[in-house]
Amino acid sequence: MTERAIVVGAGLAGLMGALALTEAGCRPLVLAKGLGITHWVGGTLDVLGTTGNQSLRVALDDLIANNPDHPYAKLGISEIEAGIARFRAVMQQAHYPYAGSLERNMILPTALGALRPTAYAPITMVAGDMRQGGELLIAGFHELRDFYPPLAAANLREQGVAVRNVYLELPPSAKRLDYSTRTFAFFFDDPDFRQAIGRQLREVRGKATRIGLPAVLGLRDPVEAVADLQRLTGAQIFEIPTLPPSIPGMRLMNIFRRTIEAAGGRVQIGSTVHRAGGNADRLTHLYSEAAAHDQEHRVAVALLATGGIAGGGIGTDYTGRVWDSALDLPLHAPAGREGWFASRFLHREGHPIFAAGVATDDQLRPLDSAGNLVYENVAVAGMALAGSDPVQERSVTGLTVTTGWHAGNLLARAMQAHLETSN
Amino acid sequence: MQNTTRQIQTDVLVIGGGATGLGTVRDLAMRGIRTVLVEKGDLTHGTTGRYHGLLHSGGRYVVKDPQSATECAEENAILRRIMPQYIEDTSGFFVITPWDDPDYGDRFLKACHDTRVPVQEISVEEALRREPVLNPKISRVFEVPDGSADSFMSAYGIARSATQYGASILNYHFVTDLVREGDRIVAAIVEDLRTGEHKRIEATYILNTAGAWAGKIAQLADLRVNVMPGKGTMIAMNHRMVNTVINRCKLPADGDILVPIHTVSVIGTTDIHVLDPDVYGIEPDEVTFLMEEGEKMIPGFTRYRALRAWAGVRPLYREESSAVSDRDVSRAYKLLDHRKRDGVDGFISIVGGKWTTYRLMAEEIVDIVAARLGVSTPCRTAQEVIPGGEESKLYWLGHNLAHVEADDSYGDLLCECELVTRKQVVQAIRGGAANLDDVRRETRLGMGPCQGGFCTYRAAALWGEVKPDAVPTNAKNNGKLAQDGAGMPGTALVRHFLQERWKGLTSIMWGDQLRQARLDQLIYVDTLGIDLLPEHIRPPQPENELVTGHPAIATEYHHD
Ligand SMILES: Cc1cc2nc3c(=O)[nH]c(=O)nc-3n(C[C@H](O)[C@H](O)[C@H](O)COP(=O)(O)OP(=O)(O)OC[C@H]3O[C@@H](n4cnc5c(N)ncnc54)[C@H](O)[C@@H]3O)c2cc1C
Repeated sequence: MTERAIVVGAGLAGLMGALALTEAGCRPLVLAKGLGITHWVGGTLDVLGTTGNQSLRVALDDLIANNPDHPYAKLGISEIEAGIARFRAVMQQAHYPYAGSLERNMILPTALGALRPTAYAPITMVAGDMRQGGELLIAGFHELRDFYPPLAAANLREQGVAVRNVYLELPPSAKRLDYSTRTFAFFFDDPDFRQAIGRQLREVRGKATRIGLPAVLGLRDPVEAVADLQRLTGAQIFEIPTLPPSIPGMRLMNIFRRTIEAAGGRVQIGSTVHRAGGNADRLTHLYSEAAAHDQEHRVAVALLATGGIAGGGIGTDYTGRVWDSALDLPLHAPAGREGWFASRFLHREGHPIFAAGVATDDQLRPLDSAGNLVYENVAVAGMALAGSDPVQERSVTGLTVTTGWHAGNLLARAMQAHLETSN
Repeated sequence: MQNTTRQIQTDVLVIGGGATGLGTVRDLAMRGIRTVLVEKGDLTHGTTGRYHGLLHSGGRYVVKDPQSATECAEENAILRRIMPQYIEDTSGFFVITPWDDPDYGDRFLKACHDTRVPVQEISVEEALRREPVLNPKISRVFEVPDGSADSFMSAYGIARSATQYGASILNYHFVTDLVREGDRIVAAIVEDLRTGEHKRIEATYILNTAGAWAGKIAQLADLRVNVMPGKGTMIAMNHRMVNTVINRCKLPADGDILVPIHTVSVIGTTDIHVLDPDVYGIEPDEVTFLMEEGEKMIPGFTRYRALRAWAGVRPLYREESSAVSDRDVSRAYKLLDHRKRDGVDGFISIVGGKWTTYRLMAEEIVDIVAARLGVSTPCRTAQEVIPGGEESKLYWLGHNLAHVEADDSYGDLLCECELVTRKQVVQAIRGGAANLDDVRRETRLGMGPCQGGFCTYRAAALWGEVKPDAVPTNAKNNGKLAQDGAGMPGTALVRHFLQERWKGLTSIMWGDQLRQARLDQLIYVDTLGIDLLPEHIRPPQPENELVTGHPAIATEYHHD
């Protein structure tokens, strides 16, 4: 059995890391317990939440200057840009381009009618940018229980947006016993369905120049679906992300998997890494379990991208113990359950436990509580990292993509160096 | 009193919409007495909605509190007859574990006989055959007629029946003052928390069945009733690991009962003295303690998923200045006739007791009032069955599934965890729910493993469509339940419900629950951006503000 590059976790961090390793010729094996949080996020690339007219780049500079332990500070602006650029190139190649910039966040409406900042969004969403004017129409379907135009529109109106809302009729051919976001994505993959919806939208459009629909406009070719609907309605069409499972998230997952596997990487979902073995400062083995089968892997380098608490990579129990369930790395976490939470779910600063993660050096390698390197051939990325609460700072996708990319590249270099010395 | 706009006249005003008040108002109405009940929250807002779910056999009290034991045993038999639709005949075991005094068994058995609590010793093998997950190291097992009971559903059943007999039941009506004229209490001033309107309710008798709040009510009449709120915490585990109520066979202590209810098992309780029945929290070490006690009865207990935790306050009555601890105060109830006790007529309190004895307490207080009003119709509540309850409200998951299948309404599920349909939610909203928490109580919306992650947004949005102009009972606005997000109740509802769930869950949030909370944060903060809504939609909420909105119905679990 030869030593391999192993990526633990198939969320955006793991996939970006795997992509970097693949492109460097390291043929990584991705082991993941289940799908990553791609299915839980709206699919925009959020680098950092900014308020008002604040420049995103300035906000990032400030963050980096003031928070040396923040993962972004370990990357630096140029590595952040490199990760974003690579992400966008992959999406572009897959005909699912992202638009935006690091200068100013776009402001996109949410399914609750909030105005949400994001740096880059798939072009199926960018027409929703609220920095431009014009009357809006928000349309949905009674059958889709995950999107409610009246609620979104009411809250937008309250914020001074000119907006109407409408429920559309499903064509008779689209009757099903049950409907989910996925059902609707399949509907929108069908040009005839788009015709039927486009015609209705044209009739109810009125003065609206932009029409928002739930982010379910197809899995196969959403860009084409949006173009179709624009032709049919004469209005700009944009998607609004809503409850999981997220269709834009699924698109990301599909594109990454295809890209990685086409370049020689392997993605194995349903394998839980539950144990690690190593010597003084190197991780040498990982043990995974899939369908009650134990597998041993020899490790050249490994990327821990298990998604923190959301991804199931961090385990917790009633005694207040907090642990890394894959590699058992030391964690940075509040001591004792009484320190885990703020009293309100929507507390402005979030909950201390959700910032739990692995502390790292500048090369994203794990450190223990005394600041000593644990393994030199392991890197950590995404929500498994300590030092930030990405949900609170609105950097979930940006942070996972950029740290994943950076960690993957560092590991690729480490692997090449290791193979040279051991040959 | 400021702008008292409306006057209501009745014979008897009952304060408190818990089991005792509801039982009382029904009993009154059945005897043909004009009566009104006011409750500051929704029905079962108080201890009745936060209890352990046990229909006591009396076994728990046989040694320490024999009178209570006998009352329970008798009422147990009656309630099984008059409200079987709300009771599950689980039976109960008292087990002696390696941590318990083996000699207590004989004392227990004898005391059961003395107090007329039906009991039978069964073999350990037999017990383990019936409950295989029970600790095999138990040494003796006694079987008693414990049951589990649904206090939400039965409260609505009792209320419905009372209304049919002519009673009037007003929820979200908060008693702010009692009017005393000389030696008589003649009226109550009540605020309708939904509109802010004040009403004066005049009654020949006012009955204080406000449970742990009875002391606060008495105070409004300048009377002293010493109710010690004793807080107890319970945890529901996501598995019906036993089908029989399991009690530790020892003197009553903390964490010694496990009750199977519907699809879960509930371990409880603790008992901690609190100063105010509206201000208490669930402490991490209480939870740890309960989990570890659970392990003693059911090895492996801590590996099950804790679904939710809640706490209620015991209305324990103590005569002035006795120095016993809360656990040692009698669980028997106490009727306080203020005419005899304090020389004040028109006002009677009844405090203490248990859910299991609510009917008896009602009978006793109504007997006195009826006599004073010259009504000789006897009490019939021990015979007359409470109608209804079978049709919609049984919330065993299998039932919901059957409904969903029969109606072909998969596509209409708003809450996939508990199989709650759009129709049920709309019905609950139209039926007068004040917020999503009320909808939850009616339908079990958001009670499943996803913690309301999906259904909260759906139900709130639906609310806005069903009642576009309704104002949710959420924000505090000069003491009124008012204009928060008028025109878009959805947002306020989401925030309120998420906070209520959070409050109920943080104390047991670890493992899968913690992960789920994080995923819910991804939905509501990351994807929906609820925190980004401007402040006039999303009122600022400083940390020290009461979370449920109106201070009168807020229970502040002070976590920080
Ligand atoms: C932790 C715990 C576990 C328990 N477990 C069990 C058990 O398993 N079995 C059992 O039989 N018993 C149990 N009990 C006891 C039982 O729950 C209570 O005895 C019973 O529910 C009390 O009902 P009640 O109607 O007297 O009081 P409550 O249900 O508290 O009703 C009083 C009502 O008065 C209202 N109120 C207060 N102030 C005002 C005001 N100013 N204006 C208007 N309304 C007002 C409150 O909102 C409340 O709803 C338990 C108690 C606790 C604390």
